[in-house]
Amino acid sequence: MNKVINFYKRNLKEILRDPIIYIFCLGFPIAMFFLFYIINKFSSGHTPTFEILSLLPGIIVFSYSFVMLTLAIIVSKDKQTFFLKRLYSSPMKSYHFILGYFLVGLFIGLLQTLVCVITGFIISLISNIGFVSIGNILLLIITQLPILITNIFLGILFGTIFNDKSAPGICSVFISLAGILGGCWMPIETMGGFETFCRFLPFYPSVYIGRIITNSKNALGITYSFNNVAGLGLITISLFMISSIILTIIAFKNNIVSDK
Amino acid sequence: MNIIKIDNVCKNYKTKKALDKVSLSIKQGELFGLLGVNGAGKTTLIKILCGLTRKTSGTITINDFNLDKEIDKIKEIIDISPQETSVANNLTVKENLEFFANIYNYNDANTINEIVDIFNLNEVLNQRAKTLSGGYKRRLSIAIALISKPKILFLDEPTLGLDVFARRELWNIIKKLQKNITIILTSHYLEEIENLCDRVAILSNGKLLKTGTIEEIKQITNTQNFEDAFIKLVEAKNE
Repeated sequence: MNKVINFYKRNLKEILRDPIIYIFCLGFPIAMFFLFYIINKFSSGHTPTFEILSLLPGIIVFSYSFVMLTLAIIVSKDKQTFFLKRLYSSPMKSYHFILGYFLVGLFIGLLQTLVCVITGFIISLISNIGFVSIGNILLLIITQLPILITNIFLGILFGTIFNDKSAPGICSVFISLAGILGGCWMPIETMGGFETFCRFLPFYPSVYIGRIITNSKNALGITYSFNNVAGLGLITISLFMISSIILTIIAFKNNIVSDK
Repeated sequence: MNIIKIDNVCKNYKTKKALDKVSLSIKQGELFGLLGVNGAGKTTLIKILCGLTRKTSGTITINDFNLDKEIDKIKEIIDISPQETSVANNLTVKENLEFFANIYNYNDANTINEIVDIFNLNEVLNQRAKTLSGGYKRRLSIAIALISKPKILFLDEPTLGLDVFARRELWNIIKKLQKNITIILTSHYLEEIENLCDRVAILSNGKLLKTGTIEEIKQITNTQNFEDAFIKLVEAKNE
């Protein structure tokens, strides 16, 4: 475990000393909260998706895709600069590397969640509306862990497979997918067949389950409740999470001793 | 005593033979040079010895451990300073040394201070690695490789891209290290190999052309200086 903690500390220092994390992982979600708050205010509150209780799970899920980007950047850079290869010749095993990267992703993801919750709370105070209870905040964090874990492992996977030029590009595709197909700021429930399609990806079900916990209403004015979308969604999210973990382990092990 | 035994090692890529039946032995405490032009197979051989690349065939034993079966034991006694400086760029010099020392459970202040003194890293100790000059970065890279107190140290092109002063300074450090550990050094600088190495192996297109001391190679090729000997051997192979 010492090797994991040692590598985690290195990764954390390396990431925290890079300004990109403050722009993407912290600044961007905060800016989005205030942007949608302003849009909602100027549309006289006629956009339910932009209400803070609906927005909170959406932006949490969307912001996790930046954790993926951050990890993809650090892993691909470590690979590109031969830093990882150097460590491969040390007694470190593949699980030390994967856990070291995973823990730093988990830390950033949880920090982002905290920032989102605090920003959401501030906006709820400004708008003079009720906010989510502390118990439900904890439940929200727990239920969003699978999509966070999926993003973390996808970040490690993309960093392992692609170089430091192409990995961020691949991640930007996923960031767009998370935003659009997650229904973070789009009323997917009004889109019929498109909504059905989104159920088979991990983003929308995660946002949906989050909105059940924050007790928000959808674009049709109906309160989110546990139904088929959430039930099947749990299976979808679990499948994506498990697949991302397995693929990452295979890719990383393959990368340690290569034929090249 | 031979600490490294390489027997009939081949490495084939799809379209190229990177190593072709290479056999050689390296004695304990020796500073052994791998010499060759670009693409000769030096780095491939080092990567195989460090367990980073799979060989196609042949056998290798390092400190009596079989590379195929006991790679974990081998990794405990070797370290490498790769061609690329490969340090954690956003960490300071001290943090880099501590990070690598922790991997090998050698993180005591004495070991780190000793290494810092050997490599004259005191004045840049709290400077981030990405802000270091090429010479300091290279020194840090080799210092990191020594923090694990390896029995065998691989130095892949250790002076690549350095100016003449930084190169000489690094040569002096390498000469001091030689007393305690086995060093395998790759280079395509002939004067570097001539100045530092006890014995050399000359590689060309993946084939081992000759192994011996500088003097032995000059005698075999009937030449006055090492550069002529090297060119004669490589040209003879290409003809």
